Amino acid sequence: MSSVASVTAGERSRPGRMSIAGWVGLAALAIVLLLAPLIFTHYWLSQILTEALWLGIAASSLTFLHRYGGMTSLGQVAIYGVAGFAMANVVHTVNSEGGLNLGWTPWLGVIFGIAVALLVAFLFGAIASRSYGIYFLMITLALALLVYFFFGQVTQLSGFGGIRSVSHPGFMKDPITDPTPLYYICLGCSVGVYLLMRYVVRTPFGIALQGIRDDPPRMRSLGYNVPLHRTLAFTLGAFVAAIAGILSVWFNTQISPGSIDINQTIAVLIIAVIGGLSRLEGAWIGALAFALIDYYSRQDTPTLGLWLNPGRFNTIIGLVFLLIVLLSPDGLIGIGHRLGRGLAKVRGEHATGVGAARSGADTVTEQAEVPAGGSSSGSEVQEA
Amino acid sequence: MFLKRNVAQEVTRVKRKVRKQWRLDRMAVVPAIALCGLWIAACGGSSSSKSSAAAASSSSSSSTAPASSTASSNTLKIGIMSDCAGAFGAFYNADIGGAQAYFIAHNGAKANGPAPSDGISGGTIAGHPIKIVGYGCANDTAATALKEVRRLVEQDGAQVVIGPLSGDEGIAVANYSKTQPGLTFINGTSGAQDTTLKVQSPNFFRFNGDGAQWNGGVGDVAYRQLGWRHAVVIMDDYAFGWTSAAGFIADFCAAGGTVTRLYPPLGTTDYSSYIAQIPQKFDGLFSAVGGTGTLAFLKQYVQARGPFKSNTLAGNIFLGDPAILAAVHNSDVGALVGQPTTEDTTSANAAAYISALKQAYPASTNSLPKPGTLASLANSVFTVNYYDAAWALDKALTAVHGDLSGGQAALHKALATTSLPDAPYGAITLDKNRQAIVTNYIAKVTTVNGKPGVHTIYAVPNVSQAFGGTFTASTPSPGRGQPVCQKRSLPWQGKEQSVSFH
Amino acid sequence: MRVVARQGPRVLLGALGLAVIVWLFIKATQGGQTFLTETLNGLTLAALYFVVAAGFTLIFGLMRVVNMAQGSLFLFGGYVAFVAQQHWFAGGTSQFQLGGSTTTSVAGWVVPLMFATVVIGLVGLGIQQLFLRWNQGQDLRQALITIAISVIFADQMVAHYGGVVQSIQAPTSWPNTVTIGSFHYPFFRLVVVGGSAVVIGFLLYLLIKRTRFGMIIRAGVDDRPMLSALGINVQLVFAGAFFLGAMLAGLAGVLGGTMISVGPGLDTQFLLNALIVVIIGGMGSIPGAAIGAVLLGLVQSYSSIYLHFGSTDLSPYGVLAQFILVIAVLAIRPLGLFGRPA
Repeated sequence: MSSVASVTAGERSRPGRMSIAGWVGLAALAIVLLLAPLIFTHYWLSQILTEALWLGIAASSLTFLHRYGGMTSLGQVAIYGVAGFAMANVVHTVNSEGGLNLGWTPWLGVIFGIAVALLVAFLFGAIASRSYGIYFLMITLALALLVYFFFGQVTQLSGFGGIRSVSHPGFMKDPITDPTPLYYICLGCSVGVYLLMRYVVRTPFGIALQGIRDDPPRMRSLGYNVPLHRTLAFTLGAFVAAIAGILSVWFNTQISPGSIDINQTIAVLIIAVIGGLSRLEGAWIGALAFALIDYYSRQDTPTLGLWLNPGRFNTIIGLVFLLIVLLSPDGLIGIGHRLGRGLAKVRGEHATGVGAARSGADTVTEQAEVPAGGSSSGSEVQEA
Repeated sequence: MFLKRNVAQEVTRVKRKVRKQWRLDRMAVVPAIALCGLWIAACGGSSSSKSSAAAASSSSSSSTAPASSTASSNTLKIGIMSDCAGAFGAFYNADIGGAQAYFIAHNGAKANGPAPSDGISGGTIAGHPIKIVGYGCANDTAATALKEVRRLVEQDGAQVVIGPLSGDEGIAVANYSKTQPGLTFINGTSGAQDTTLKVQSPNFFRFNGDGAQWNGGVGDVAYRQLGWRHAVVIMDDYAFGWTSAAGFIADFCAAGGTVTRLYPPLGTTDYSSYIAQIPQKFDGLFSAVGGTGTLAFLKQYVQARGPFKSNTLAGNIFLGDPAILAAVHNSDVGALVGQPTTEDTTSANAAAYISALKQAYPASTNSLPKPGTLASLANSVFTVNYYDAAWALDKALTAVHGDLSGGQAALHKALATTSLPDAPYGAITLDKNRQAIVTNYIAKVTTVNGKPGVHTIYAVPNVSQAFGGTFTASTPSPGRGQPVCQKRSLPWQGKEQSVSFH
Repeated sequence: MRVVARQGPRVLLGALGLAVIVWLFIKATQGGQTFLTETLNGLTLAALYFVVAAGFTLIFGLMRVVNMAQGSLFLFGGYVAFVAQQHWFAGGTSQFQLGGSTTTSVAGWVVPLMFATVVIGLVGLGIQQLFLRWNQGQDLRQALITIAISVIFADQMVAHYGGVVQSIQAPTSWPNTVTIGSFHYPFFRLVVVGGSAVVIGFLLYLLIKRTRFGMIIRAGVDDRPMLSALGINVQLVFAGAFFLGAMLAGLAGVLGGTMISVGPGLDTQFLLNALIVVIIGGMGSIPGAAIGAVLLGLVQSYSSIYLHFGSTDLSPYGVLAQFILVIAVLAIRPLGLFGRPA
């Protein structure tokens, strides 16, 4: 396990030669994203891209906690729901139709929403921090469902069928007629949280967190307060999720208990897994794939009796999810890697007798990238 | 020894090389995948960019004459919004079939196949060829409904949208319609009160009653005919439950009664603790529990308290489902049911409507909630409301001779004054909020040869959304304590007409 | 300081527990019949939860598989029995069909029950053989697989059976209510569901403690590699245990479908309930599941009616009571009341 960590660390710190292909790809992506309002229609900009961005933020918090903390949490949607509802309750809702409607300014509402979400997340984290692996997953799922039922039943806080027409900062104009400002906000937040998470994992806190992921008893014996560490990591993940929650309210212009039901919880999990749980970027890739499947499935699905028709999006995404978990546990990024490796095989290595060595190398590199998540017992690392 | 060490070194060297090699490719993998996805998005976006650009330009200009919106062709582009997933997903084809049946029967369109979602071809309204540009496939949530209506309008270029299906969706679509003032939105089945009473969008028209109107007259009859003075009202603790109960409460309190309210949370399947809170003696019980809970509630009530005493039970439209009545073993024969349509009507208008359905979709199809013909669902609100919407569109557009210019201004004006005196289940007119004033019906549960059935006994004319002033744009929306119980006069008090179709 | 930190939660929770008991006592003396009704409501709900959770915890205890599809199996069991009753005995209700017989014979309930139970057992077995057999040890992956299966299942059930709630008919010859003096209580809930849970609990106890199969299961829970080292066909044992666990879910589905109803959303509800029961009772422990079920059932039942403090009505916040229950148990025992570390 420590060898895995050191190999991974070694790889990252190795000052290798950056390939042209890598930089070109990154630059092209950046250009496309920055100029998106000129390339895509308003509908696509808002319904596909903006949605992919904020869903990606939510999923990235799950990926972060899983990859670097060993904590697979199904509570991210509930956390972002808490943030969204908290904000929606305190700001002015145009039709005064739901929520407490306290009339605060939108920015104050944002801060309040994030603060409440962090508080709730700290509580959840404290409850669940002494559980590991699958047990942790179950507890976060139970807590998330309880949050959903709570908002479903406490209608003073969740409004008359949801809180509608939630007011947002003025410079965003109307997201329906002009989606460009919201798009850039989501893009900026995505880049921001990505850089934040990449930064945190290199800090002492982040390294200790990865140590806790790999071997909690050893970290405890080294003097770290493991439950507190995990709780704080969970809270950090919740910060990212809360941002996604705020953006989701601005995107939908409303929030209701139905926005955070079990379908949404599982959708965020599906997004993270489809994209690939080993890389933070996987979250956004998964979100884009999810949005595309959602769009196309509603019009282009053939009808096969009751089994398949345009309304069976859940079946379709469930099947995609199942296939990915069965065949490529590292999601689309894993598939991309396999293609990349195939490319390397084709391109390099003319040296003889290198076949056996290469298959050995493959196993090592596979171990290096597979997330050492799941459970704390040593045998689980063999997941591949 | 020497050989082994060399091999080990060789392996390590190769490992490093391969690792470095494809790690560099790994750098490119993520942007590559992302760019693939965005390229798909761009393709999908640009292929319909022409139509969306046209829609965008026609919708953004409201005052100038956008000849471009109809200059490209004379076609009238209609989008139909329904639910294909979620609680009401089974009614997808019932909705689409209702609207399209009208076009087939009266505008010369032809069905493309036995299932309504196969589409139609041909047909004209006031000289405009009809084109159904798409079907909105929502799932009973406002977010998806908004997404779908935007797809119909911004991607597919719909000029008129018929729909949506459910309450929350209606409010979202009505709010959206305000951002598209040059288009027309005619409601499907959605029955939330606020959609017209509060949102008041100038281009959103509803030709069916809201959830409260569906119980118009029941409270009055309960007070005058059944002698109830204090009623227990049990409702699902959410929008539809509150609205449905509000219709009864407004009526009953207006006549002079008082109420106790119980609100189990939506999704309750175990009503035992709420049943325990119902007093042992009560004049009457009104059930505004939604479809998902009515069965469970009635069953558990009967198990805990025994059958209802005669004339002590009334309920909203869900109580009239014969299957539910069968499930409680006939123990609530005599119950009153408020509903906006009737199964047993013999009126000529209803007969004409049913024959139009039969003519349009004669074949039995599996695409409906139960295998059968569309006509078998004639009295379902899901079918008839969409039919009436299509009818209103046809009538209004014909009245202005197909004039869609000036942001469809003439059409909006005509629709606001359109009435359907020959509508299948009673005349429909619109009030100043473009909300329908309808005839409501009260039916009684009966038993015929041991089988439960529902017989209509009253028609309540001119049921309006305002309930004699109980509901206005400034009163609080129906909720746990709203409306407040108050005596007042309603237009239809005491004016219920006895009807008998047997 | 550390003593306070450690004992603090226990003292707090002890005080909370005492306050709850005193409150209940007050309410009981105020309305004895209501209290009795509510207690029985809670216990009968607990009976249903126990049956579902017992299957869940058995599968986890032995195979370390978190079967997130347990809720879907529960609901599917209800639907299968409903459709069986409708087609074979024409006594079930259909959403749209007017007519049909309104009486149900005893066979008209028992046969669909047995049919549904076996069918769900086979479905569960199929899931295990197809998807879970070859990746043992990969907890997270198996959980993701069962989640995917539950998503597909839920959508297909809505597609095939519609979104409207249905109900399974109990035999008409059975009485509706049990009457003791002036106290009424639904017969089916009390005798059939409550009785079934007791019988099933007893049978499970016999199975686990007194049969060879049970002995193998207990050994497998303790030390799986040793089990296969002893030459026992571990795959067969796993298959059998999964079959049993799924059967329990199906059986619970039929009972729930008769007592409450079958409809979409029930799978999520019962999955949540099973999760809570197993979290507070301890993974892999059947007695823990029983105690957890009783606690959850009573908390749910009391919190729906007894949260009136004077004029303030806190009933909408009843969900928080379940939340507090989970926190309370996890605070004192992070692995559940009877849980053991992996």
